[in-house]
Amino acid sequence: MVQCSSCARRCEPCLICPDCGSPIAAELDCFATLGLPRLLTIDPNHLESIYHAMGRRLHPDRFASSPDAVRDASLKATALLTRSYRTLREPVSRGLYWLELNGEKLAEDNKRVPLEIAELVFEVQEQIAELRDAAGGAIETDLVTAIGKRRQELQGLMQQATQDLAANYARWDQSDGDQNARAMLTMELKNILSRIAYLRTLIRDVDRGLESAAA
Amino acid sequence: MERIFGIDLGTTNSLIAVMDGETPRVIPDPRTGNPLLPSVVALAPDGRMLVGEAAIEAEPHLSVERDGRISAAGFPGGEKGAVVRSVKRYMGLGGDELAAEDRHRYTFTDLSGPVVRFQVGTRVYTPPQISAEILRALKTRAEEALKEEVRRVVITVPAYFNDGQRQATKDAGRLAGLEVMRLVNEPTAASLAYGLERRATGNVAVYDFGGGTFDISILSIKGGIFEVLATNGDTHLGGDDLDRALVDFILEGEPEHSKRDRHVWNSARRVAEDAKKLLSSAPQTEVVLELPGRVIRKTLTRAQFEAMAAGLIERTLQCCRLALKDAGLGAASTTDVDAVVLVGGSTRIPLVRRRVQELFGIEPLCSVDPDLVVAMGAAVQGGVLMGNQRDMLLLDVVPLSLGIETMGGVMERVIHRNTTIPTSVTEMFTTAVDNQTHVDVQVLQGERELARDCRSLARFKLGPIEPQPAGMPRIEVTFLVDANGILNVTARDQRTGREHSVDVKPSYGLGEEEIERMLEEAIDEGEQDLEQRLLITARNDADQILVALRKQLGEHAPLVEAGERLRLEELAGRLEAARAGSDRELVSRLVEELNELSTPFAQRIMESAIRQALEKKSVEELS
Repeated sequence: MVQCSSCARRCEPCLICPDCGSPIAAELDCFATLGLPRLLTIDPNHLESIYHAMGRRLHPDRFASSPDAVRDASLKATALLTRSYRTLREPVSRGLYWLELNGEKLAEDNKRVPLEIAELVFEVQEQIAELRDAAGGAIETDLVTAIGKRRQELQGLMQQATQDLAANYARWDQSDGDQNARAMLTMELKNILSRIAYLRTLIRDVDRGLESAAA
Repeated sequence: MERIFGIDLGTTNSLIAVMDGETPRVIPDPRTGNPLLPSVVALAPDGRMLVGEAAIEAEPHLSVERDGRISAAGFPGGEKGAVVRSVKRYMGLGGDELAAEDRHRYTFTDLSGPVVRFQVGTRVYTPPQISAEILRALKTRAEEALKEEVRRVVITVPAYFNDGQRQATKDAGRLAGLEVMRLVNEPTAASLAYGLERRATGNVAVYDFGGGTFDISILSIKGGIFEVLATNGDTHLGGDDLDRALVDFILEGEPEHSKRDRHVWNSARRVAEDAKKLLSSAPQTEVVLELPGRVIRKTLTRAQFEAMAAGLIERTLQCCRLALKDAGLGAASTTDVDAVVLVGGSTRIPLVRRRVQELFGIEPLCSVDPDLVVAMGAAVQGGVLMGNQRDMLLLDVVPLSLGIETMGGVMERVIHRNTTIPTSVTEMFTTAVDNQTHVDVQVLQGERELARDCRSLARFKLGPIEPQPAGMPRIEVTFLVDANGILNVTARDQRTGREHSVDVKPSYGLGEEEIERMLEEAIDEGEQDLEQRLLITARNDADQILVALRKQLGEHAPLVEAGERLRLEELAGRLEAARAGSDRELVSRLVEELNELSTPFAQRIMESAIRQALEKKSVEELS
C-alpha cells in the first residue's frame, strides 16, 4: 500500500492518486508504471500517448506552487515514468529489462562472438585494421569500397536481428506460462540481444574507421 | 495570483518578460524604452554598483594600469573600480576551467579555487554576486513599470550549461532576492515562444548563437508537448569570439604593447562590434579607430569578415550534426526536421543563415526577434508554472552524461546525455575492505572515458556504515536530476532501510554557508530596497494628493460643505502623520481613502469649471 502525499489516502501502488489525482512516489516496475500488461510487444505510438498523458498529470511543472511533499512526489513519480518509458520504448533495452525481471542477465559468457556472424566479424576487423595502418598514406579506394559493402551487409544482419527480436517477443506473449517454452525463449532472447550488441559495436567501429580515413 | 516572470540572463544583454493574458511581453526600461539591459556591471571601490547603460557610461573613464588590466577611475575619489562584461562566461567555473582569453581580462584574487573571484580595490565579488546585480536591475525595472512585486521567476540558461553553471545561476537568483521556480534551457524557451505563436507540430531545430554561447536543440512538438530529443553546444563560442577575430584584424600591424593595452583593445572591440553589425546589411564598411595621437583606418568587406567567421560557424555546424545524430534524425537535406528557428544576435549574420539553411535543407524561421524570443519563452514557461497554458508541457534533457569514478579511474556512466529529465537512477555501493565505515564517491560530468578527463562535479561520503566484512553492506544511492538539470543525491542502507546522510561537496561553485552569508549581506540591500522604493512611491502619492487637496480647499472653498471639510481635513491629518512614519501599507490605504472621500468634491470642482467655461463661451458668443 502507498499513501497519497496530498489527501493521505492509502491505496494499491500507483503513481496517480485515484481520489485526488495527485502524484504518488510509488515504486513500480516499468510495465506497472505505465499501466501496461506484462507483454513484450508494444505499439510505440500507444506507448508515447500514455507517456504524454501521464506526464501532463505528474510533471513537477504542474505542481510549482504545491507543498514540498507533493512536489517531491511529483518529481519522483515523473522520474520513474520517464525511466520506464525510455526502457520500454526501445526494443533492445526492453528485452534486457525483461531478462532482469525474469531473474536473468546477459552475462559475460554471452558476450562471446555469436557463431553465425563470427566469420564476418573477423573479416571486418581485419579490414578496419588495414585501413588504420594505411592512414596517412594514400587512401585505398578499393579498401574503402570493400568496407562500405561490408557495412551494408552488417546493416542487413541488424535488420534481420531486429525482426528476430520482434518474433521472439510475439512468441513470449503467446507462451502463456509454459515453463519449457519460456526457457527456450529466454535462451533465444539472450542470443539475439548479444548478436545485436555485437553488430552495433561493429557498425560503430566501421563508421569510425571510415570517418578517420576520410579525414 | 502572484505572477511568475521570465528572465533571459544573457552574456551580452538581459531581459525580463511576463505573460499578459495569452501573450508574452518583454518589459522595456520605463525611462528609455529599451527592452535590452546590457549585461554590464560597474563595480565601484566603495561597494556601489552600476548596471546596464549606466555601467557602460562609466566605462570610458577607464584608466589603464601598467599590467594592462582593466580598471575604472570614473568613481569618486579616483579610486579604481572595474567594469565587468560577459560575467556569464565565469558563472560556475573554477579558475582552471576558464577559457584562456577570459583569464586576463580582470583582476582575480586567485585562479586556483573552486570559484573565480573578482578583485576590486579591497572588495571581492563572485560571478553569482555580479549576476545578481543584473537580476536585481531587471526586477526593479519590472516593478517600476508594472507596479507589482517581482519575486518568482524563471531564468534561462544555455542548454549546454553543466551542473555547476546551473547551480551558480540559481545562486544568483537567490542573492537577488528572487525565488527561482525553474531554470529553462534557452533554445527550449525559444521553441516555446514559437510554439505558442504557431501552434507547431513536428521536429524543430533551434539554433541559438548568442553573444557568448552556442546551443543547438532538436525538439519534437506534438499536442502541446515540447520534447527535447537531443542537445549539443559550446559554452565558449559566441559573437564575442567574432568580435575578437575582428579586433585582431583591426590591430594587425600595431606594436605588441599597443595590442596589449586594454584601453586600445576595448575601443577596438567597440568599433569591431559596430562593423560586424553593419556588415549584416552592407557589403563593406570602413573601420575607424581613433587612438591618442593617431587613427587606424581599414576597409573591411563582408567577404573578409566571412572568411574570419567561417571557422567559428563550422564549429556550430559540427554541434548540429552531432545533435541530429543523437536525436536519431538524418543530417543535411533530409526532411526529418520540419522547421529551424534562429535565436541570438549572431544569427543576424547572413553567412550564418546561409550555412544553417544548407545544413538543414530548409529556410530558417526568424519571425520573432532573435534578441527577445528567449525572454518571451521564459515568460511562457512562467505561465505554465502558474497553471495557465495547461496544454503545454516541456520535457527537456540532461546535456552531459553523469557518472561516477570507478576503480582504475574510469568514468562509469549512470545517466547518459540526452536523457529526458527529471530522471533518476539507483546504484548499489558496497565496501572494498573489511570493517570499512565510509565509502567515498566521486561524481563526474562529461563524455570522456577517463575520470580525469571529465569534470568533477562533487564528492560525497557514504556512512557511517556498520563494520562488516567487505562487500556485505549494500547502500543504494539514488542520483536524481530534477527538471532544472541539477543533480540531487540520496542514499539508503538496503539492509536497515535507513536513510544515509549524503554530504555532497561540490567541486566547483559556492558552498551553502557562503551563500547564506552573502544572502545576509544582500538581503538588507535587496529586499529592503523594494520595501523602501515602494514606501517612497507611497509617500510621493501622499504628497501629491495632500498638496492638491489643500490647494483646492483654498481655491474652491464655496464648493465644500462644512462637515465635509472637517472629514477631509481629519483624514488628511492622519495621512500626514502616516507619511512621516514608515508603514507603507497604511500610507497607501489612507491615500486611497482620501482619494475616495474627496471624489465628490473633485467632481463638483470639475462641474463648476465646465459650467464656468460654458458661461464664458456663451458670453463671448453674445458679445
